[in-house]
Parts: sequence; structure tokens; C-alpha cells
Amino acid sequence: MRGARILFLVALVAPAAVVAQADSQWQLQQSTLSYHMSHPMHEVDGVSRAAKGKGVCHARQCDFLIAAPVKSFDSGDTNRDLHMLETTRGAQFPMVVVRTHFADSELHEGTVYADLEVQFAGQTTHYSHVAFQRTDQGKDVHITGTVPALCSDFKIDRPTFLTVPIKNEIPVKVDMTWRPI
Amino acid sequence: MSRNAPVVTWAVISLSVLMAQTAGVHAQSPDAGSGSAAVVSGTVMDASGKPIAHAIVSARSEKGGESSTAESDAAGKYVLAGLSLGDYDVTVSSPGYAAKTTHISVVGQQGTLDVALAASGQQQAPVPNAPVPNPPASPSLGDLGFSTEQTEGDPKLQALLKRRTEMLRVHQRLGLITLAPMAATLITGPMAKAKGKNGQTIKEPTEANLDFHFALGAATGALYGTTASYAIRAPRVPGTHKHGAIKVHEVLAWVHGPGMIATGVLGYMAFKQENSGEKVHGIAAEHGTVAWITTGAYGASIVAVSWPIHLKFWEKKQ
Repeated sequence: MRGARILFLVALVAPAAVVAQADSQWQLQQSTLSYHMSHPMHEVDGVSRAAKGKGVCHARQCDFLIAAPVKSFDSGDTNRDLHMLETTRGAQFPMVVVRTHFADSELHEGTVYADLEVQFAGQTTHYSHVAFQRTDQGKDVHITGTVPALCSDFKIDRPTFLTVPIKNEIPVKVDMTWRPI
Repeated sequence: MSRNAPVVTWAVISLSVLMAQTAGVHAQSPDAGSGSAAVVSGTVMDASGKPIAHAIVSARSEKGGESSTAESDAAGKYVLAGLSLGDYDVTVSSPGYAAKTTHISVVGQQGTLDVALAASGQQQAPVPNAPVPNPPASPSLGDLGFSTEQTEGDPKLQALLKRRTEMLRVHQRLGLITLAPMAATLITGPMAKAKGKNGQTIKEPTEANLDFHFALGAATGALYGTTASYAIRAPRVPGTHKHGAIKVHEVLAWVHGPGMIATGVLGYMAFKQENSGEKVHGIAAEHGTVAWITTGAYGASIVAVSWPIHLKFWEKKQ
């Protein structure tokens, strides 16, 4: 009888384990990345919809990569965007690249906590335990969140207006839709 | 660099990789400091030295800006081209073998990296005609489909942007400084007249007032010209299509630019008429009107380029 119970439990658990261990790949379908720049006389958002991304889950671990050209961020004014490109050394380091690694069980949670490695402006910075909200949209997964970036994290000289620099905080809002491939 | 990469000559690479890996790197045509694209080639082989065909070799820059991928041929040979100087992770993978990553520093134009792969211990021997499952590799920048133009750094463009920013910074500061003599010139304008509208002599204004107004106008014109020259001479960035507030700023320059010239010419005419004891007449009488329009356009262009202005500190006081 006990043996039958164990067999029954194994039969229940085994498929779940197989699902959890199955390899899966994800592709970024659409995204909106926007940085927010704050100054006593200015509130500016620069938006990019040019990011591309890919995710690979294998052996219960997931690696995701998202990248966007720095010059794809549009704040609504060419002059400001060119200044941003210069300040962030965007011609020399033209891509902002984000890598993250997490257990694939996170993919099934409403809130995904990810450790991020961000390459930007020639610097690499790590952000730990960044929360992203996850919702299912049919077979797609919708992810939103904010990366708490700082100018100083990337050794960016803060631009000034009327001799007053912008705030050090440049939070980057993320809105992404991922699709399994 | 996020890691301590082996530095900085091909010879050093050879030594460090040979020590760290079973693969070898051989120096060829050392040319450290060259800015041209580098080529890394080599052979992928198994533990016995037998060449491995169709192995995927990918180099990923530590900076994340570049990647290059190649496939080994029947003799196990591969060529990674178009690499810039810097640190790379070179990953070699092939079905049935454990993928291997080697960290290298590219410091010359050509180099050799031979890689020996160990058979994957967890996999059964390959079955003829049955593809061996290959664990998916971590995604790399090369997987995303960006063009080389998008991912390759351009130090020349960076230098051009820097020069542009520096010149526009001077333009901005001088432009704000110019506002002071411009406003003072406007204020002293009415006091500079020697004759009233009906031709009667105005007692209060003096020649000193007139000269002072003239000097302020001249200073404004000189500062304005210098300010404008920094914007005009600032380098253009190729492939940029202007949009947003900067376009309004530039359109307004076509109002205050000619306005400044006209104000100066009309002012000089008015100055001469005043000095000869005449009532200012003819087009010189429009000097003041043109000056006000010019100043208005100038002020508006400063506001435009500063847009959107958000008076947050003022709101907080409410």
C-alpha cells in the first residue's frame, strides 16, 4: 500500500519536474524603455522602443539579455538627445545591455526579483533584487518594473541647466512583452 | 574591464591562454595600438586532436558592444573577423562536447586561438543520424540581430559630439550673459533721445545717456555675434533629423538674427541724427520697435530651447 502511494506521488510530481527542467527560449516581442531625468525646472522622459531581447532557460536557470541602442532614446528634442548621447559616451559605447540570471521558478511568480548586470556608458553596474511585475497575456508574458539607475553608477557627469545639475537618479521604466519561441 | 584580462600583447595572450586552457594562441604580426579590425583564427579539435567540424565559435566583447560568430569547417578551422581591440569571451560549442569559454584580450591585428573540447560527460555517445541535443547557450548580443553599425563604437563621432557640446555650452552661457546688456540697452533707449516726438528738446537726456545707450548696444551686438558664432560653427552630427524645441529655437534665430543687424543699423542712423540735433526720422525712427521685436524673439528662443520648463520649486511654495 505504501509503495503504491509513493508511486502515485512520483507519478504526480514527475511531470511537474519535467516541465520545470524543460529548456525554453523567449523573445522580446515589444518593449518600452524610458529614463526619467529630473531638474528643478525640467522633467524629461527619454523613450526607446528599439530594444531587442532573448531569454534562454536551461536546467532550471534562466539567462535573459536585453539591449537597445543608446541613440534610440527620444526625449522629444534632438538637441537634448545629442547632448545625452555625448554625456553618456553613447557614440563610443552605443548599446545599453542588460543581462539577468534567475531561477526559472521565478517565471511563474507575480513578482520577479532579478539581479541585473547593466552595461552602459562603458561601465558595468549590478542591481540586486530588482522587482518586476509579471502578468500573463495569453501565451505572452508582460513584465513591468523600474531599474533604480543613478548617473554616478555609470560615471556620467550630470548635465546642468542654468548651472544646476540634474538629479543623480535616472530611473529607467521597463515595459516588455516576452513570447516563448 | 570587469575582470582582470590577460594583457596586452599577443605574446602575453598566448602565454596566459596556454596556461589557463589547453588551447594555444600564437602571436602573429603584433601591432598593438592599431585601431583597425582584428582577426582571430584557429582550429577546434577534440581531446585527441581530431578536428571538429561545424563547431560554433562566438566572441563576445566584455563591453557588450560587439560580437562575432563563426563556424568551423571540415578541418576544424574558423575565423572570427571584425573584432576591435579589447577583452572578449570566446565560447566554442559543438554537439556532443562541453562548451568552452576562453577569456582573451585582443591587442593586435591577427591572432590564433586553438581550442580543444572535451566530450560531454553527461551525454551518450552520438548515435549515427541522430542529432545530439545541445544545451542552449546563454544569449549574446550577436543573437539579437542588431547591425554592426548599431553595435560598433565610433570614437570619432564621440569626439565630434564632445566638441559640439562644448561649443553649444559656450553658446548657451554667452547667450544668457547677452541678455543683461540687451535689457539694459532697451531700458536706456527712451533716455537716449535728445528730441521729443514734437521736436522739443528733452532736458533730462544728456549726451552721456546717448553715448551710454550706444555703448550698451554695441556691447550687445558684439556679444550676440560671438554667441551666434559658437552655434553656427558647432559641428553638425551626420544623419540627425532635427525635431522638437530646437527647431523653434532655430526658427526664432531667423527673426532675432536679422533683427539684431537691423537694430544696429537703425540705431547708428538714429545716433547720427541725434548727434546732429535732428529729430530721429525715416526708417531710423523704427529703431526702438525693431529692438523690442528682436529682444522678444531672442527671449522666446531661450525659453524654447529650455522647454519644457517646469517651475517645480515655485509650485512647492504654494
